[in-house]
Amino acid sequence: MGMLYRLIRNDVLRSTAVTLTTMLFVAAAALLVALAATLVVNLAGAIDTMMTRAKTPHFMQMHAGHLDRERLAAFADGNDAVADFQVLEFLNLDGSQFVFAGGSLAASVQDNGLSVQSERFDFLLDLDGNVIAPSDGHIYVPITYMQDGTARVGDTVRVAGTPLTIAGPLRDSQMQPLLSSSKRFLVSRDDFADIEPFGSMEYLIEFRLHDLAALGAFQAAYVAAGLEANGPTLTYPLFRLINGLSDGLMIAVILLISVLVIAIAFLCIRFTLQAKIEDDYREIGVMKSIGMRVGDIKRIYLAKYAFVAAVGCALGYALSFSLQEPLLANIRLYMGESDSASWAPFLGLLGVATVFLAITAFVYLALGRFHRIPAAEAIRFGVSQEAPSGGRRVRLSTNQRLGANAFLGLKDVLVRRKLFATMLIVLVLTAFIIIMPRSLHHTISSKSFITYMGVGETDLRFDVQQTDRIADRTAEIAAALEGDDAVSAFVVLTTKAFEARSSDGSEVRIVVELGDHSVFPLTYASGRAPTGDHDIALSALSAGDLGTGVGDVLQVMVGGQARDLTVSGIYSDVTNGGKTAKATFTDDGAATMWSVVGVELTDASLASAKAAQYGARFDFAKVSAMDDFVAQTYGPTLRAVGTASYAAVGISLVISALITLLFMRMLIAKDRYAIAVLKSLGFTASDIKTQYLVRSVFVLALGVVLGTLLANTLGESLAGAVIGAFGASSFAFVVDPLEAYLIAPALMALSVLLATVFGTLDAGTIRVSESIRE
Amino acid sequence: MDKIIVSDSIVKSFGVGRERRNVLDGVSVDIGAGEFVAIMGPSGSGKTTLLFALSGMDSVDSGSVVFDGEDLSRLGDDALADVRRKKMGFVFQQPTLLKNLNVLDNVILPSVRDGTLSALQINEKARALMKMAGIEELETRGVGQASGGQLQRVGICRALMGDPKVIFGDEPTGALNSTSAGEIMDLLADVHRTGTTVVLVTHDVRVATKAERVLFIFDGKIAGAHEAGRYDAACDDVDARQQALATWLAEMGF
Ligand SMILES: Nc1ncnc2c1ncn2[C@@H]1O[C@H](COP(=O)(O)OP(=O)(O)OP(=O)(O)O)[C@@H](O)[C@H]1O
Ligand SMILES: [Mg+2]
Repeated sequence: MGMLYRLIRNDVLRSTAVTLTTMLFVAAAALLVALAATLVVNLAGAIDTMMTRAKTPHFMQMHAGHLDRERLAAFADGNDAVADFQVLEFLNLDGSQFVFAGGSLAASVQDNGLSVQSERFDFLLDLDGNVIAPSDGHIYVPITYMQDGTARVGDTVRVAGTPLTIAGPLRDSQMQPLLSSSKRFLVSRDDFADIEPFGSMEYLIEFRLHDLAALGAFQAAYVAAGLEANGPTLTYPLFRLINGLSDGLMIAVILLISVLVIAIAFLCIRFTLQAKIEDDYREIGVMKSIGMRVGDIKRIYLAKYAFVAAVGCALGYALSFSLQEPLLANIRLYMGESDSASWAPFLGLLGVATVFLAITAFVYLALGRFHRIPAAEAIRFGVSQEAPSGGRRVRLSTNQRLGANAFLGLKDVLVRRKLFATMLIVLVLTAFIIIMPRSLHHTISSKSFITYMGVGETDLRFDVQQTDRIADRTAEIAAALEGDDAVSAFVVLTTKAFEARSSDGSEVRIVVELGDHSVFPLTYASGRAPTGDHDIALSALSAGDLGTGVGDVLQVMVGGQARDLTVSGIYSDVTNGGKTAKATFTDDGAATMWSVVGVELTDASLASAKAAQYGARFDFAKVSAMDDFVAQTYGPTLRAVGTASYAAVGISLVISALITLLFMRMLIAKDRYAIAVLKSLGFTASDIKTQYLVRSVFVLALGVVLGTLLANTLGESLAGAVIGAFGASSFAFVVDPLEAYLIAPALMALSVLLATVFGTLDAGTIRVSESIRE
Repeated sequence: MDKIIVSDSIVKSFGVGRERRNVLDGVSVDIGAGEFVAIMGPSGSGKTTLLFALSGMDSVDSGSVVFDGEDLSRLGDDALADVRRKKMGFVFQQPTLLKNLNVLDNVILPSVRDGTLSALQINEKARALMKMAGIEELETRGVGQASGGQLQRVGICRALMGDPKVIFGDEPTGALNSTSAGEIMDLLADVHRTGTTVVLVTHDVRVATKAERVLFIFDGKIAGAHEAGRYDAACDDVDARQQALATWLAEMGF
């Protein structure tokens, strides 16, 4: 034991920089894994806790228009799956009706409205998770508006002229995320009644089921019963998904980075071990020749790395406790405390233990090489005789034009491929982490990205809903747009419900948006936009429900007759619950649920002004500028991804510089003899530095090219998977060539080459007289 | 005779504090152009240190070394490298070859760096030298695939590529059997005959017999010099020459 301790201590002391760096990466890996584990437990737990306390509905149908409460109650009574049923009222108010101290919500793209507290389920909660009971004159505001500074506790807000005091924030288990387009404010019954004449009523028809597993069957039964359905349908799993999305994205990013850091920690270890084995080649041979067991030698190294890994893991785990607070703050605020939070440290510990075990297993496997060192050969040659087959053909005698320095640098990389492969992999990974998140950010912030989410690329958008004369009013808007010189194109899309027959033969109700879909096309995951009267395009979720693919035939009741429609394309959609369809046929008999007018302006910069102008003129419609819509809906996510991508760039540059520095120090230490020989032959210090720079440039160029390729292929699919969480199934990078192909490589070159220059500053100052005697 | 190396009171010490001692303790040696000088002395007496000092491979603590008219202590690192490349050749006790390169590439490396000759000239010259050294068939071999004697000859070819004014040898035959050692010595004798100055550290009396002058170094000082005159294989009696040297060395306490 004493001897083992001394061996480890000596080894750690001799290679302090390398040991510390390895420990650092292990600590970073452990930290990230522990953080991710803690966050997952807290997020999942907090969402569940919140949704349990709020008693979130399992099935919710939004509905505008006439409501037959008796028929609904009868349906609920007659359905065995139903545990509870209620109809809540949501008073839709125009954004301009909410006047805060700092201004109104006129520019808000959200559907803002008032609610009263429910009596049975779907409760609105305060920050302690308790059901709020608002008193007269008080209003509770969605957390988002408290967070962005619109509302402050104690301030007065005028809602449709009625002054109300802001009593506090509220947690809404179903409408809270920005992706959900409605926001509920909570007031007392009396205040609600006072304001009711100023808004339009929308109903939330809500059900709780005995067993969530019966949701699919229940949904089918609801549709089959032909009940109220003028509006989107939302379900419990969807609520849970959108509640977890933005934090889930953050966790995904942390996990991605931690995988890369673990990979780099592994590379560091592989690299040091390799160098170590080469250095000790002779000694190991001698030890073997005097009869020491290979197992004994392995145990020494294993013990060293187990020690390094243990310290690193302990450090990372400890650090994770101080770093998790700021990351958990967001989850705590929006979702509240998780009931299972006490489990988090254990899961974190489990994650860290996994890292530790992975590292020790890795070292154990890497040490397998010891068995393959033949004692005789090691003693005779002192250096590993593994055939340097690489670059055997590359000869100075036939490549003199390269110059001696460039040749020596290149040749060394070719001969010591295994050693340089480590540096190459690190550079490939860092190039990948630099380019991939930047491309992702660039892609999702590009204007056309919304076409992946089921929204056409327009400048302006009119939403006409919850009025009894949708068709007339939409025509009014169309006439006005026709006469507006600033409008270069517009299209009216009308949404109606139809009966369809799914592939298993059952009747389903589908919501179809009718009109010309070629003007502001979506990006189709497969197929194309519908063009003729017998085409229909389906959202990915609808297609899944109906069990149809592109080219399949779907029978739909149009104008009282069954019509065979061919599925022309499938697109991703996050709007209206994600289950939508698009077609171009007309059916004047069917009732209009809502309509949308998409507008393109000759000058896109006028969008906001035009939105305000038309908003004032057609007070029945919600008019929004697309840029505002995107900024308000996806803005925080975009900013988060942007910040994360810049962080990734910074971290990667530091990692590549650090590893290069380490690598160069190690190379120089290993190459002392060769450097001394070169100096004795009359090579100058700058010759030798040039040779190291050539090595770096060579590996760097290869690394950047491979990393860029990888980012644009694997990275694209990976990003596609993340984006898939938003409901978008097809995905192609919009690469910023300047950034990806010029700035990113330039930054990497800068960090790697600076590190090389810095790391090899003293390469030429080796004293020949000392080194050559060795 | 012109002097190619003039050194005056060289002092070089190693170690720190009370351990510090002068390994070279005021050595003054002049070497004539075209001369063949052997340096002998007991192990640890400072022979290698002297060689490094005379060639500027290592700095000295005091005293001066003038090489071909240039004071080495006043030259910067780069200028020293240039002198080394253009005017000196080295052969060490162990072959100091780069194991990444094959035999031919090792030989031509300094000349490619120097860049004064064309690629074609360099390759031709290297092949001629290797032929002279009897290692022409090794050209494409790796360094690990040749014997010690062969590698030593590769080193000599490399040292000769730049047409150096002086060849320094630090026991180049020390690790070889007597046949190989003899061949290496013959090679160096050939080089000397073409006018190149040879400064050779050796333990071997037979090797030193061929030198014009033998310096005996003891405890960091030149203890004596033995002038044997230019050796001519045709008319000199090798045994007598060797006998005289041995007798002198015995007087020196070798
Ligand atoms: N870098 C150094 N640091 C400390 N002492 C040194 C160093 N280099 C040489 N010495 C010491 O200087 C002395 C002379 O060394 P040198 O190598 O010149 O001897 P040498 O005459 O060549 O011996 P040998 O015949 O064994 O090669 C020795 O005692 C050696 O230990
Ligand atoms: Mg010596």
